[in-house]
Amino acid sequence: MAEKYKILVVDDEADVEPLVLQRMRRQIRDGRYEFVFARNGVEALKALSDDQDIDMVVSDINMPLMDGLTLLEQIPKVDPNIRSVIISAYGDMKNIRTAMNRGAFDFVTKPLDFEDLQLTIDRTLDNMEAWKEALSSRDMLVSIQKELDVASSMQQSILPTQFPQTEQYETFGSMEPARNVGGDFFDVVRLGNGLVGLAAADVSDKGVPAALFMMSSRTLLKGTALGLGQPGAVLKEVNDLLGQDNATAMFVTLVYAVYDPVTGNFTYANGGHNPPLLVHSDGGSEYLATTGGIALGVAPGMSYDERTVTLAPGDAVIMYTDGVTEAMNAADELFGEARLQEVFRQSPPRDPQSAARAVFEAVHAFAGGIKQSDDITCLVLRRKG
Amino acid sequence: MECNATREGANLFIAVDGRVDGTNASEFQEALEGVIEESDRLVVLDLGALSYVSSAGLRVVLLVAKELQRQSAKLAVCSLSDTVKEVFTISGFDKIIPVHGTRQEALEAS
Repeated sequence: MAEKYKILVVDDEADVEPLVLQRMRRQIRDGRYEFVFARNGVEALKALSDDQDIDMVVSDINMPLMDGLTLLEQIPKVDPNIRSVIISAYGDMKNIRTAMNRGAFDFVTKPLDFEDLQLTIDRTLDNMEAWKEALSSRDMLVSIQKELDVASSMQQSILPTQFPQTEQYETFGSMEPARNVGGDFFDVVRLGNGLVGLAAADVSDKGVPAALFMMSSRTLLKGTALGLGQPGAVLKEVNDLLGQDNATAMFVTLVYAVYDPVTGNFTYANGGHNPPLLVHSDGGSEYLATTGGIALGVAPGMSYDERTVTLAPGDAVIMYTDGVTEAMNAADELFGEARLQEVFRQSPPRDPQSAARAVFEAVHAFAGGIKQSDDITCLVLRRKG
Repeated sequence: MECNATREGANLFIAVDGRVDGTNASEFQEALEGVIEESDRLVVLDLGALSYVSSAGLRVVLLVAKELQRQSAKLAVCSLSDTVKEVFTISGFDKIIPVHGTRQEALEAS
């Protein structure tokens, strides 16, 4: 990001200002961010109307005079282009959901993890740029390609760029976008208590409306994952939220898993998505049985079963999208599930990066010169050992 | 992709040929909406000659199912190839849209 962004931080706690200035000093020195501060919603609104240069707001929820949720409602009246990120208590789904309904782009949890805050700010600003571009081109004759480009940068802005790893496990994910079609995303979230949440997903459509649907899917998933924990309950909640007034009939197929590094237990629920592949250290593998769930957003009120498998040291789980298994070659054959297993038979995954790379290479080799018609996503979790 | 419709009273059969993905899903939607009439009570998509359907195609099927529901009509699919059946099974769509072996079975089940 070449541009300098001005960020308004709203919090009633006195130590937030020095803490932000200290922890973000590198970004401030590099000229990337400039911070201004307010102690409550009233001060924040005044700052926003006095200073037109503010690009985004990071706000606490509980504050005197005017709280963060009320502030969220007021911000678009001052400037509809401003993006907001909410600081919420850990697992406070009710407030997170209200904040999302009132237009918050994302949230971070207390106590503040400054690395996460910085990633969230960057992602929010990337998304804001993509959105501004969409708005500025709205009055012109917008080509379909232009709209797809905007959607594509929105898609990129929600993908994680850092992957949790510890002494016990490592993760890595990557997505190769198709030129025109596609709606893949994936996420890896630290859940606290050492647990990690992983998701691979595919939205049913393309373009800006699908990108917006993707963003709300991802944010609802993250919020629900932090709040509820269990994969089956998480999918049920996200499905109900997405299914309300879903006139566009968009939906997302999604597999969500929680991994416990201490026990090696990998608990997943599958909402209409391709089954993850469990690969053992000897190269043998099996697909994780589907849990019978339907794609999310299709029909509210569905329940989602979950299943647990225990990873042995050296085992890896490959989560992917149909861009892998439905890649096509010149003879109109599909890559298929058997070829994915074949990738690891001779060379078991040594680390998640090389496992993901092996999948992409195998798909490209199979497709030959045939242009990729869908996004290709691969997310890998490996238990060290 | 091609759609060919035959109407028998209040039953409409639409045979879908070729493949439906993100590049032609909107054509698919227009084709279906263009041929379905308000008097139709049962619409059966005969997918026997459909070689591939992506999630964008499933979305069109879902849209049509919802529209038909509003006019108190039903949607079913029949004659799915293994590849297409797998897409319906994995996505869970077979739980909300009846899947039948043949047109006749779709008729009898309605």
